[in-house]
Amino acid sequence: MLAYLIRRIGYGGLVVLGVLFFLFSLFFLVTTPDDIARRAVGDKAMPQVIERWKVNHGYDRPLWPGVEHPRDNLLVDHFEKMLTFDFGKSDADGVPLSRRIREGALPSLLLTTPMFVLGVLLAIGISLVVALFRESYLDRLGVFWSVLGMSVPLVIYIIAGQFVFGRLLRWFPISGFDWDPQVLWRFLAMPVVIGLLAGLGSDVRFFRTVFIEEINRDYVRTARAKGAGELRVLGAHVLRNALIPVLTNVVMAIPFLFTGSLLLEAAFGIPGLGSLTVEAINANDFATLRAMVFLDSLILIGGQILTDLSYTWVDPRVRLD
Amino acid sequence: MPSGGPADSVGLVKGAGGFAIAWLGLCLAACSNDPYPNERGDEKVLYLPFAEPPKTLDPAEAYSTVDHSITARVFDTLLEYHYLKRPYELFGSLAEAVPEPRQLEDGRVEYRFELRADLRFAADECFARFGTQSPDLPNSRRITADDVVFELRRLADPAVGSPVIDQFALLSGFADFGARLEARRKADAAFARRRADEQYRELGGFVGARSEGERTVVVTLDQPYPQILYWFAMNFTSPLPWEAVAHYDGKDGRDPLAEHPVASGPFQLVRYEKRARIVLEKNPLWHGVRHPEWRAPGTVFPALDDVPNLSPAEKAGYATSVGQQLPRLARIEYIREEESIPAFSKFLQGYYDISSIARENFNQVVHEGGLSDEMRSRGMQLEKTVTAAVFYIGFNLDDPQIGSAGGERTRLLRQAMSLAIDSTEYARLFMNGRGIAAQSPLPPGLFGYDEAYRNPYRQPSVERARELLIRAGYPGGIDPKTGRPLHLTFDVGDTSPEGAVRFHFWTNQWRQIGIDVELAATNYNKFQEKVRDGAYQLFTWGWVADYPDPENFYFLLTTRMARSVSGGPNSANFKNAAFDETFERMKAMENGPERRQLLERMRGILQEECPWIPLFHPEDYALLHGFAKDVKPIGISSPVIAKYYDVDAARRRELRTAWNEPVLWPAALFVLALVALLVPAVRTFLRERQ
Repeated sequence: MLAYLIRRIGYGGLVVLGVLFFLFSLFFLVTTPDDIARRAVGDKAMPQVIERWKVNHGYDRPLWPGVEHPRDNLLVDHFEKMLTFDFGKSDADGVPLSRRIREGALPSLLLTTPMFVLGVLLAIGISLVVALFRESYLDRLGVFWSVLGMSVPLVIYIIAGQFVFGRLLRWFPISGFDWDPQVLWRFLAMPVVIGLLAGLGSDVRFFRTVFIEEINRDYVRTARAKGAGELRVLGAHVLRNALIPVLTNVVMAIPFLFTGSLLLEAAFGIPGLGSLTVEAINANDFATLRAMVFLDSLILIGGQILTDLSYTWVDPRVRLD
Repeated sequence: MPSGGPADSVGLVKGAGGFAIAWLGLCLAACSNDPYPNERGDEKVLYLPFAEPPKTLDPAEAYSTVDHSITARVFDTLLEYHYLKRPYELFGSLAEAVPEPRQLEDGRVEYRFELRADLRFAADECFARFGTQSPDLPNSRRITADDVVFELRRLADPAVGSPVIDQFALLSGFADFGARLEARRKADAAFARRRADEQYRELGGFVGARSEGERTVVVTLDQPYPQILYWFAMNFTSPLPWEAVAHYDGKDGRDPLAEHPVASGPFQLVRYEKRARIVLEKNPLWHGVRHPEWRAPGTVFPALDDVPNLSPAEKAGYATSVGQQLPRLARIEYIREEESIPAFSKFLQGYYDISSIARENFNQVVHEGGLSDEMRSRGMQLEKTVTAAVFYIGFNLDDPQIGSAGGERTRLLRQAMSLAIDSTEYARLFMNGRGIAAQSPLPPGLFGYDEAYRNPYRQPSVERARELLIRAGYPGGIDPKTGRPLHLTFDVGDTSPEGAVRFHFWTNQWRQIGIDVELAATNYNKFQEKVRDGAYQLFTWGWVADYPDPENFYFLLTTRMARSVSGGPNSANFKNAAFDETFERMKAMENGPERRQLLERMRGILQEECPWIPLFHPEDYALLHGFAKDVKPIGISSPVIAKYYDVDAARRRELRTAWNEPVLWPAALFVLALVALLVPAVRTFLRERQ
């Protein structure tokens, strides 16, 4: 397993290097250091102000390595900084990015963790219920709502949720965020519920399929023949044996809890990491963009390795070689 | 007996159902849409939404409207605009009075600012670190002329990277000081590591900004530039303590200066989570608070006797506020709202006091230019302000097809194209009518603006445009060289579908006179690149004034500012010797008949040469609740004056309670529906199992 892990991490490293290179190439294909500077200092700035900004932020150097500047160029600097986790400062506002990421991670986690945990529990619970009542009106209703839920974009859930729960019923604040624990739940309740509902359809439909497939297996029939109750059959037999596809779906999502949800955070004013990448693209903020893309790629690779490891945990027959 | 039989299932369902209902009941009991449950009684707090976080609060760098919405409230300036008077008028704020220019023998001009006595910075830990605090006030010290001079030196410092170095380059020795500073830092690493104030002091500063005694700031300009006074009403020139720059360096867990202003304004920053919430509180050390007996201008609400521009109704509205001590608010809370719809909904619920009006809400709010019945019934107020700004379509006069080289022919072509454009219709269609048709670059409210003036080429007329095209040699818009409609390119930095509809409005108007204008939409970066390279013919842009003086508009069309000459904002590359010569004379003059005459001459040149098609001056509509008082938008980009604002917090609380009573019965309905849905299935299941 150690050899497998080393190999996967090695492959992952190559992927990250590739991502960093493509990010740099694509970004500077459509954006010049002048554009970065102009967005930072404003349209009214005179050329000498733009030049000064570039000097102060190191963007006066050539983009690519050359004979005269094999090291003193933006590409080498880009790799050096990322591979040493030196994220530097935002190009847009000069704030240290390690601080920005630290500050943004917690609000994202506060939003995504309950959404994820409740979502998984609820999706599994509902899927088990519809699997239990398969072919009944509850099953058909469950599938209908799942397909409907999958078909509606998140933004519609958000607009409808804010209108119904915030404006019509007035149960929750329409948006906002506060660190005070007594108040925080009010702000998180609606986005958590909306995020949960929006993700529920696809999960329920997927888990239901997995559970129904398991329910029809011989060992389930045997368990029932031995007199096991329906709850025991579902909880101890079906659920356990259906865990691999469930885990594939669930474990991959765990690392991304950290990066938050773009739309929910933007609509509800939650200062997480979800909208940071989009803000960076809009602001020509290369420093923030590369830090976020770098972290995202690390998280993706970490998530894949974690998923592989989780297979060995739920099914001892699985060997990672 | 195996576990998990039907009885267990029923028990589990009942238990889970009971728990869910209890949980739902508890949640609903605590439910409220109030985003400020910890609000303290009837404290005067102003709540405002903000969409985009500020970039920096460093007064030397902050240059965007959103930056200024914070910095203009925490930094006091030497001069200030009168809150109510229009045209705009300056008076002394930290300075005792507006200084008069003094012509020196060598041709330079000097201004002497006398600071008020006993001005202090807001309390901050940076003073204790260096032991510079005043004995009578812990964590604060008196403001001296050196603090203003220090900030002016920072503007010249290349490492600070102030965006306004060009505007301050007229200060004697300004550019030279920056060059010396940079050279010395490169040559001497030990020098570069020293504190900024020590570096400045060692180099001796520059003669254009110096102090005399504790209270006199002397500013010397190489040539007359009366508009320099407006820059002293902006944060770039606010006093800044050297201790703040030395302490807030972003190292060892300390904030960067860009996030921790140390200032002397009526409010101080107490919370800065720029992606979520920003809070300002009344500064107890502000001079107006410390010395209420001063009753100086800018520390009390102004008298109305000498404000002729106010209507009797407006005067009646402000009457009870006259003479009241400033600031009137205890706190200002800015809440981040990235999306306009939630922000407006919260405004309607009374959780924000002032709101802009998004296009999608316009018809709900405004009816026939006034408030809709719905808004009036809620006690709303509508404040309209024409912004000191202009939006225009420009011609690149370096282009051979439409530029100056074509002489009379291209001039007539530009005039014809101007006549084809109906900007009133554009404002009606795309801006809910929030803009007035521009006749020249100068917006209303500025000296030189003439309401009666009508630019003959800005009175839309397809017939006249066609006549001019015939005279230009393009009858029916046909280019005689090709025998086909004249083909031009309109470059825009917006690729959105909404933008395309807007821009096609213009191209369709030119099509009416037979000219084929192709829309070249690229992203903004690419558009900037084209402009840098001079590869454009027609473009559209806007300008929001830094200060309310015609110079700040007409400089945009001087040769010195031409994009192809200096990379400046004159993207039309308009180069006209007569215009330049008149501009140079006009800019150094005090307002008066002679200056007005020069402005008219310049306006005449622009009218005939037509480097721009002036489109409109945008109009800001601010919607206020009845409990928000004395809010008068100022309409220029920099100063956002909040110390005059007031709010009736008790009335607001009453209305919020009335407007936001939670509706709980749908929760019970939901539970009943759920039970009704589940019960038949469970009963069938149990029956089958038994």
